[in-house]
Amino acid sequence: MRFRTQGVLLLLCGAALLRVSLFSELYLRYVKEGLRPYLIISGVLLVVLGVLGLVRRENGDGGRRDHGDDDHGHEGEDGHEDHHGHDHSRSPRIAWLLAAPALALILYPPPALGSYSAEREEAKVAAQGVGTFPKLPAGDPVELTLNSFASRAQWDSGASMKGRTLRLTGFVTKDDDGRWYVARLFVNCCAADAAPLKVQVRGAKAPARDTWVTVTGTWHRTGTPGSDEARPVLNATSVRRVDQPSNPYEKR
Amino acid sequence: MEERGSLADGARLAARGVVYLVVGGVALVAIVTVGSVLGPMFALDLATPAMAAWWTVFTSIAVQAMPFLLLGTAVSAGIGAFVPERVFSRVLPKKPAFAVPVAGAAGVVLPGCECASVPVADSLMRRGVAPAAALAFLLSAPAINPVVLVATSIAFPGNPAMVGARLVASLGTAVVMGWLWVRFGKEEWLPQRRTTGKGTSPTGWRGFRDGLQHDFLHAGGFLVLGAAAAATFNILVPRSVLDLFTDSPWLSVLLLAVLAVVLCVCSEADAFVAASLTGFSPTARLAFMVVGPMVDLKLFALQAGTFGRAFAIRFSSVTWVVAVASSVGVGWWLL
Repeated sequence: MRFRTQGVLLLLCGAALLRVSLFSELYLRYVKEGLRPYLIISGVLLVVLGVLGLVRRENGDGGRRDHGDDDHGHEGEDGHEDHHGHDHSRSPRIAWLLAAPALALILYPPPALGSYSAEREEAKVAAQGVGTFPKLPAGDPVELTLNSFASRAQWDSGASMKGRTLRLTGFVTKDDDGRWYVARLFVNCCAADAAPLKVQVRGAKAPARDTWVTVTGTWHRTGTPGSDEARPVLNATSVRRVDQPSNPYEKR
Repeated sequence: MEERGSLADGARLAARGVVYLVVGGVALVAIVTVGSVLGPMFALDLATPAMAAWWTVFTSIAVQAMPFLLLGTAVSAGIGAFVPERVFSRVLPKKPAFAVPVAGAAGVVLPGCECASVPVADSLMRRGVAPAAALAFLLSAPAINPVVLVATSIAFPGNPAMVGARLVASLGTAVVMGWLWVRFGKEEWLPQRRTTGKGTSPTGWRGFRDGLQHDFLHAGGFLVLGAAAAATFNILVPRSVLDLFTDSPWLSVLLLAVLAVVLCVCSEADAFVAASLTGFSPTARLAFMVVGPMVDLKLFALQAGTFGRAFAIRFSSVTWVVAVASSVGVGWWLL
């Protein structure tokens, strides 16, 4: 692999990063918001490196300077075996693998994780112990994240959600027993560590899997806080289809 | 004469054209046929939820690692191009046995995850740093730098012992591995490219650029390989399987130590994952956080690419054992 192919690969990687971070918000499907500036910097750097690599090769076809490179390359092959692996004019074929994620991001950005990942795992709410929670903010209905709804449903001895109209947004998942849930995945770092949060919805017909919905309703109490019976359940009064938000994952 | 010459030339050109046309045409027809037959099947595969999830996990590991990989290769190329060898020989103690703890503690200064540390350790070795010291740095840097420790303290609020235990257990593992290398390590396990005097590689900006380009592509290829392996495990093994093993304390330590290898969570995020693994003992979670930055699939792929497979197999397996032992010991002591 010569400088030109190296340049093409670097350019491809840089372009892929810029496509998802600078020219769109697709990066939110894969990583956290905070990584954006680093993705943009890396993308610009890779594009610059790639262009430099390409330009150098083209200029150098007859130039003296580039013969230095070729000699350098031969040196590695001829005598100096000890220098193996550090010969910069060629890089191993393994680098071609970089083209796979880069092309995927440019041509067909993989979708955000959805019901497939959410249904494979039990939803877990961080154990935090029973206690009273701060009062919900004013408003009717109150927008809640799935995490705050679930932890209040499970651990709040003060029943702070009682009598309030609540609004949750997520995608639809189902289980084998015919229940359906509004769900969202929580991502710590990148989509590889996604963990599901789910709230069961009652009193409304289930839309198709992976439909994004906003569900308005009231909290349905299932048991004493802290016990296994206390599950997050919502009595729905309305279910409205919405577009997938630009950040499909649960906010921290 | 001339006419015949040009005639022959023309014939040759025409023959070549025909050959190109036939070969190219056949190739084109073959590609189109295969493409049109396999294309829908492939698209169908992409459309199945499992395959789509695989692609998402795969690309997200790659995207997540890119900036850190670039940082690591930039630092390593910078060391190769701008830092003269005598700097390291002056800063580090002469005897490898003493240099190991110093290098291990120096891991504090590289704020990145494990993808960054492999190329840096490689360039340290090229600059004449004793392999034992460079390896100690390789292991400690992703685990004990401030970014990771802060992330750990956020993930385990009100539990500073966990941060301390992670620091101690990781540093301990790194130093022990360095010493083991001093005692038992053999030069021939590493690729033969000890520094051979001056002039072998360009220095200055040109050397920096060449090094950065080469190292990034090289390590990036192996990173992609590791990401594919991690995504495959992620899709094949649902994490709920773990809940079956939470009862036995010994089994759970081993289980989380294996999980750290196959999940390949970035060292800056693994504390959050460990915190979410409720139901496991603190020691088991500590093992997850100690093993993860030192041994995992993508790291193994990176090491195999940089130092050779023979080295990576030996080094990773011993590191895994030492890391588990160290976290059990520290967990028993501190947690």
